[in-house]
Amino acid sequence: MENRSMANQKPGKDNFTRNLVIAVVVGVILLMLVPTLLSKRTNTSAAIPASVSADRGYGIVFNEGLKGVPLIDIYEDFQCPICAQFEKMQGDYIESLITAKKATVVYHTLSFLGPESVNAANAAACSADENKFLGYHRALYANQPAENTGVWSNDVLGILGQAAGITSKKFTSCVNDMAYQGWVNNVAQAGAKANVNSTPTVFINGKEIDRKSEYFSADKFKAAVERG
Amino acid sequence: MKKYLPWVGLLSRFILGGVLLAAGLLKYQHLDKSQMAVRAYELLPVSLANILGIVLPFVEIAVGVLLVIGAAIRISALVGGVLMGAFMIGIAQAWARGLSIDCGCFGGGGQVEPGTANYLPELLRDGGLALLAIYLFRYPQSKFGLDRQRKDGEQING
Repeated sequence: MENRSMANQKPGKDNFTRNLVIAVVVGVILLMLVPTLLSKRTNTSAAIPASVSADRGYGIVFNEGLKGVPLIDIYEDFQCPICAQFEKMQGDYIESLITAKKATVVYHTLSFLGPESVNAANAAACSADENKFLGYHRALYANQPAENTGVWSNDVLGILGQAAGITSKKFTSCVNDMAYQGWVNNVAQAGAKANVNSTPTVFINGKEIDRKSEYFSADKFKAAVERG
Repeated sequence: MKKYLPWVGLLSRFILGGVLLAAGLLKYQHLDKSQMAVRAYELLPVSLANILGIVLPFVEIAVGVLLVIGAAIRISALVGGVLMGAFMIGIAQAWARGLSIDCGCFGGGGQVEPGTANYLPELLRDGGLALLAIYLFRYPQSKFGLDRQRKDGEQING
C-alpha cells in the first residue's frame, strides 16, 4: 500500500524502484545461469579412473577390445532402488560374462538422484583404481540406503570398501577428496547425450533392450544378450 | 474499475508466481533430472532438450519472483502463460503418443513404468494456471505490487 500511494505522488521515483528490482532479479538469474551452463559441459581434462574410456561415454569398461562379443552398456545410479533390484536379478550373470570374457561391459554411473549418488559414483571410480570395481559395485547395492538420507557420506563409502576387500589408504583419500568428481559430471553429460531417461537403462550393441519384459527376467535378459 | 479486481489479481499473482517459483527451485536442485525430464518428452533434439532442461528452471524462478513481488506483471504473465501452453502441448503429445513419462513439473521426470503416468490432472492444473496468466495479462492491476498504477487502478506499464 505504501508503495502504491507513493507511486501516485512521485511516479518517477517508484518506476525507478520497480525497474531496479526487475533488473536485479533478471540479472541475478542470468549470473547464476551462465556458470551453471558452463559447469554442465564435459571437462576433458578431468582425472579419470582406471579402465575408463572417454570414447565409451566415460564408462568403466570391462573386456575392452574383445572381438565378436556383445557390447553391454549399463546406465545406473547407485541410489536407484530399481537398479538394486536389477543388480540382484542380473548382477551375477553379468559378472560371469565378464570373467568368462563373453561380453564387453560398460558401467555408466549416473548421479541424477542427488549428492549421495555423486559420492557413490566417485567412490566406485576409486574402487576401479584398486581393480575392485565389481566387488564394490556389489557392496554398494547390497548396502543401499533410502535416497539422500545422509547415509552415504564419504566416510561410510570409504569404510564400505572393506566389504569389497579394499583396504588401501589411497582408496580412502580418493573417496574423501572426491578425486573423480569431474569425471562423475562427464559421465552424467555423456548419459544425457545418449538420451538415457531412466535407470537402469541397458543397451546391447547400442540398442536398448525391451523395458517391458527383458530387464527383470533372467531368461529374457540372457536371450537379449545372446541375440546381441 | 471494480473494487475486488486488484485482489483477484493479487491472488492470481501469488498462485501462478508461487507455483512457478516452487517448480523452478525444485528443478534447480536436480538439473540432471530436469534435463532428463525434457528429453523424455521426445519432442526436441537431444542437445536442445539438454539445454532447455537447464535454462527452464531459471526462467521459472525469474518469472515466479517477478509475479510474487508484482513487477513487470504483464510481461511475466505472458511468459508464464506461454510456458503453461508449452507444457500442455508437451504433456498432451506424450499422452497421445502413449509415452510413459513423469511430467517433471516439480522436479522428477524421465520414463516411468508403463501405465502409471497420469496426464489428465497435470493438463487440468496447467490449464488453470494458463487461465490465471491470461487474466493477469488482461487485468494486471493488483494490490501490493511494484508496477506503477494510475489513481483509477489501471496499470500504466507492465
